[in-house]
Amino acid sequence: MKVKVLSGDHAVAHAVKLCKVDVIPTYPITPQTLIIEKISDFIFDGEFDATFMHADSEHSAMSMAVGASATGVRTFTATASQGLALMHEMLYVAPQTRLPIVMANVNRSLGAGSGIWAEYNDSMPERESGWMQVYVEDCQEAMDAIIQAYRVAEDHRVMLPMMVCLDAFVLSHTVEKVLVPEQSEVDAFLPRFRPMNYLDTSNPKFINIAVSPAHSMEMRYQMDHLMRGVAPFIDEVDEEFSKMFGRRYGGVIEEYRMEDADYALMTLGTATSTARVAVDELRAEGRKVGLIKLRFMRPFPHERLRRALEHVKAFGVFDRSISMNGFGPVFTEARNSLYGTGVPVTDHIAGIGGRDLTVQMFKEMFQRIEDSVKGGGRDCYWHGLRGEQI
Amino acid sequence: MFEIRFHGRGGQGAVMAAQTIAEAAVNEGLEAQAFPHFGAERRGAPVMAFARIDTKKISVRTQVYVPDMLVVMDESLLDIEPVADGLKDTGSAVINTSSSPENIDLGKRVRCVTVDATTIALETLKAPIVNTAILGAMAKADPLVSLGSIKKAIISRFGEHLGEKAGALNAEAAQRAYEKAIIGESIAKRQQAKRSMWLPTWQDMPAGVALHPGEVGGMKVGPGSAVQVRTGTWRTRTPRYIEERCVRCVKCWFICPDAAIHRRKDDRIDIDYDHCKGCGICSTVCPARAIEMVRGARL
Repeated sequence: MKVKVLSGDHAVAHAVKLCKVDVIPTYPITPQTLIIEKISDFIFDGEFDATFMHADSEHSAMSMAVGASATGVRTFTATASQGLALMHEMLYVAPQTRLPIVMANVNRSLGAGSGIWAEYNDSMPERESGWMQVYVEDCQEAMDAIIQAYRVAEDHRVMLPMMVCLDAFVLSHTVEKVLVPEQSEVDAFLPRFRPMNYLDTSNPKFINIAVSPAHSMEMRYQMDHLMRGVAPFIDEVDEEFSKMFGRRYGGVIEEYRMEDADYALMTLGTATSTARVAVDELRAEGRKVGLIKLRFMRPFPHERLRRALEHVKAFGVFDRSISMNGFGPVFTEARNSLYGTGVPVTDHIAGIGGRDLTVQMFKEMFQRIEDSVKGGGRDCYWHGLRGEQI
Repeated sequence: MFEIRFHGRGGQGAVMAAQTIAEAAVNEGLEAQAFPHFGAERRGAPVMAFARIDTKKISVRTQVYVPDMLVVMDESLLDIEPVADGLKDTGSAVINTSSSPENIDLGKRVRCVTVDATTIALETLKAPIVNTAILGAMAKADPLVSLGSIKKAIISRFGEHLGEKAGALNAEAAQRAYEKAIIGESIAKRQQAKRSMWLPTWQDMPAGVALHPGEVGGMKVGPGSAVQVRTGTWRTRTPRYIEERCVRCVKCWFICPDAAIHRRKDDRIDIDYDHCKGCGICSTVCPARAIEMVRGARL
């Protein structure tokens, strides 16, 4: 193990090298450019033996990733916001053809306003695609999530692609201390990829064929059934990871100071770090608050969330994106999880377009959550908005 | 926890400086975090970067509002931005300037370390990239991270990016700055400015992705244009108009790429310092040497 000071982007690049990925088709888009830049350095310097392919767009990059993975090799690509949007069409091919591609997505806001800063409205719509999605909190987790991602994705009980999402700038361009594992440790944890269903010239076959309505409904149900059962494998891999590397992330969710908590907030991504400080400060004042870190948006941890919240009086959900005239997507999922429990759930929109998230904002969220027990408040609060919410 | 805020200009290496102090702290067994704040990604535009150092794992990721140490990589920023906003009374400031600390007006009296990092960088590195020299002065301002660790981090970080020789030269710049830095106290003449500007509420924002339109010389200009964006803050040298030499040829008015030269009725000119980036083209084309460029962000 080596101690390095790495950005989130470079931590991902180191992880890709440690995972001995075979093929990396990419198109550079900021702010994930540092990931592929570092990977191309590794290859150029002779430290990493992989095939690096320049695509002419993200649509092509994902098409090439699908093609590469279908021949039975370990495949990686990286993108961000507009790039992910351009991949949208090809994104759907990977899960349905059961190709365990791993992709890093640096989350930034999509569309007009041309924001390059952190927001989840790029990756949240892709939760419908069949990709697993993990949101990471720090540079160490960015590295570890890539290593875990291949182990989960390539498990023959899973065989689904995984998107590792990291916040633009707040994580992609932040440097921190990262413990880089030895190659031998990663090799012992992550066996060589054994493809399940791949293109082989000695045994010709079709994959990704066009099917009629007589088949497609069953294919969709197969995917839904598969995704509903994946969460325990993620927990299992995290457990094994902790035995090898001494770090654990809790699988699909992590509970922080949830013991005896009356009021809980759920966060994802880098917001969790600052929210931990708010929880510590409120606990020091004697307030019974706790935090749930949502790691996986797909599969969504409905069961574990219900169990974690059995004793709480009220619950709030942080969202860094919004579905217009709906709510934040995380809130929508979480309220579904808790349907019928009677626990009041509120949505807390903040950090939109990369707006700085302060400790004070999270304290305000906890105050709203506490107040929600009395009833009569809103379902959805915007924090840090200029002008009164109406 | 020890928090540092860097103010620099695009191209001076504020981001690398923040990353290097973080690496130096980790070399000493501490925990550290460093990150930039991206605005206009342009050479010369004011930029900020942040670093945190602690004995335990750092959780908070918000920007640094109440720094223990302020680092100003271009002294002209003192006149442009309220750089000392939030600086702790017990904190310290490191300023790149040829002046001594008692001439540095931060609007508050704090421990102040000055160093002519630009000259050191020009002599040692042959380029005005001042980050490594500033890092040497930071070691003098606060012993939190030793000069030895900083030099080691420079050799590793700059060496990896630019090659071994560049790593060693940059470490030398830090060493020279450490030796030459002057410790003193800043002065408090100027009004302490708050870092707050008026921004519209959601009700005040025009529909569509738009900011309010503005007006220049009676002409309506589009929203988000230079009217709202004070590109004059990017300037590190400033044109001075010497009216008595002016031959009223209006070449400068015609050529200015930022329309920052306004033509009077008598064909003499006014310079719009809110939008002049200090490119110096006006001075070059003037046949009468009626515009001269002066070092600094203001006259």
